[in-house]
Amino acid sequence: MSKTKISIEEVRRLASLSALDFTEEELNSFIPEFEKILEFVDQVKNCDTDDVEIEYTSHKLATLREDEAKESSPQEEILMNSPKTKKGSFCVPKMLD
Amino acid sequence: MKFEELSLLEIVDLLHSQKLSSVELTQYFIDRINDRKELNAVLEIYDDAIEQAKHADERIKNGFRGKLAGVPILIKDNILFKGKKASCASKFLENYVAQYNSTVVDKMLAEGAVILGRTNMDEFAMGSSTENSAYGNTLNAIDPMRVPGGSSGGSACAVRAGLCPVALGTDTGGSIRQPASYNGVVGIKPTYGRVSRYGVVAYASSIEQVGLFTKTVKDNAYMLSILSGGSQNDETSLKVEVPDYLAQIKGNIKGIKVGVLKEVSDAVKGLDVEKTYFDLIEFLKENGAEIVYTNMPHFALTLPCYYIIAPAEASSNLGRFDGIKYSRRSVTASNVDEIYVKSRSEGFGKEVKRRIMLGNFVLSSGYFDAYYNKAKKLQQKLKKEAEEVFKSCDVIILPTTTGEAFEIGSKTQDPIAMYKEDLFTILANILGVPALSVPCGKGSHGLPFGMQVLADCLKEGQVYNVADYIQRQYGR
Repeated sequence: MSKTKISIEEVRRLASLSALDFTEEELNSFIPEFEKILEFVDQVKNCDTDDVEIEYTSHKLATLREDEAKESSPQEEILMNSPKTKKGSFCVPKMLD
Repeated sequence: MKFEELSLLEIVDLLHSQKLSSVELTQYFIDRINDRKELNAVLEIYDDAIEQAKHADERIKNGFRGKLAGVPILIKDNILFKGKKASCASKFLENYVAQYNSTVVDKMLAEGAVILGRTNMDEFAMGSSTENSAYGNTLNAIDPMRVPGGSSGGSACAVRAGLCPVALGTDTGGSIRQPASYNGVVGIKPTYGRVSRYGVVAYASSIEQVGLFTKTVKDNAYMLSILSGGSQNDETSLKVEVPDYLAQIKGNIKGIKVGVLKEVSDAVKGLDVEKTYFDLIEFLKENGAEIVYTNMPHFALTLPCYYIIAPAEASSNLGRFDGIKYSRRSVTASNVDEIYVKSRSEGFGKEVKRRIMLGNFVLSSGYFDAYYNKAKKLQQKLKKEAEEVFKSCDVIILPTTTGEAFEIGSKTQDPIAMYKEDLFTILANILGVPALSVPCGKGSHGLPFGMQVLADCLKEGQVYNVADYIQRQYGR
């Protein structure tokens, strides 16, 4: 099986998807590192899985609760860890001119 | 009296009979934590610990006999305790204060526990050595040149060093059992859903569980009965009856069917744990267990399967850290996009970034089927193989680690070598079954390692029975 190759453009795109910023040096260092990790996880490709269906549920015994309206956390508690709030809202820089 | 030498059950007894006060005991462990600061196992002793202990003493005086009345307990830094910091050993959550209690904290408080403080860990539980903490690495409790394992390294070290009688951890790929092995203590990852994850910061939601460290298997069984039980706030937690695990320890293993996997017997060849693994199987046979030689053909793929599923879920779970809702915001950000990117880039450590990137890679279009879906299918296949194995076996025995604790810094430059640390532990996470590491042998440098007992879902009682027998009888 051919090794999965990864390009610098691809690393850049991943960084953007991940909302992470890297230096050029860091971006480049991802290439050999990723290729090594991918070579390792590529082993799963050799396994025949045509006979199984994916189960996205976590556990056959897990149950959903009734969807009932309940008391929520107080607003000030929800906001207390935010670096910036204003009049009961999360605050960010102006988005529209 | 040296309280660090007592078991949890002995401590509970002393507290209930009022021969010992919670204040005295809590102060004793606070002093020990301060005396062993070089271990860096504990990130914070809560400032109201003594207040909590006073309250517990008052309740005991008034007749309260909660199962943990007055017992000081440490929790991993990713478990929420209302009004206290929970940083996940990350700079990103440096100042994050929990707005509510996790279910496990509520359950311990209901039994009268004193929540003493929070322990060090790999940032966001990503790592196998507690070297990825933003607050410095934790040392192995026995050999300061070596790692304590991870990601719950602080909790494992704390129990071994006698800084508390019991500590909580989380286990996504071995994060309780591997450090338990390296510090010579008992650590369990219960069945997926056995313990509620509500109020525990998510890493890889479909495979992680809250569990705990103790010195003895009996203490562990006692404690798990307290922590177990579903909660309305965690859809994946199991709303099934919680047994008295301590009562399920029978003291013998006659007729118990012990599975030995061919793939594991092959994998241990040449490893430090090889002799102990085969000796233990022989020992179990001599003491009345029936050895069942069986196999799981895809065992070797558990590791790559994990390193697809875990980063994929991590990259999604860590999307919530956007610099707006929690804790850190970059001071240099001038617009919303910069808030996201700069806050995350400044706040996350190297391994966390690596796993977010890897996760987004395996989830991105063109790769989703080849990696994530493939890994999920493989997980299903492994579950089917396990179903077959558990038809003829009550438990399976595996080593926990490949050997004793490795030296600090020896694997930090090689992610794959670090990932391979989890060779024997990941199976239980992929299957969702309970697994416990019990101290069992010593490596070539005289340091401990553990062996694992696995059983089918919700058969923790069976695990405890066999593990207790091993702890009390093996090697004597």
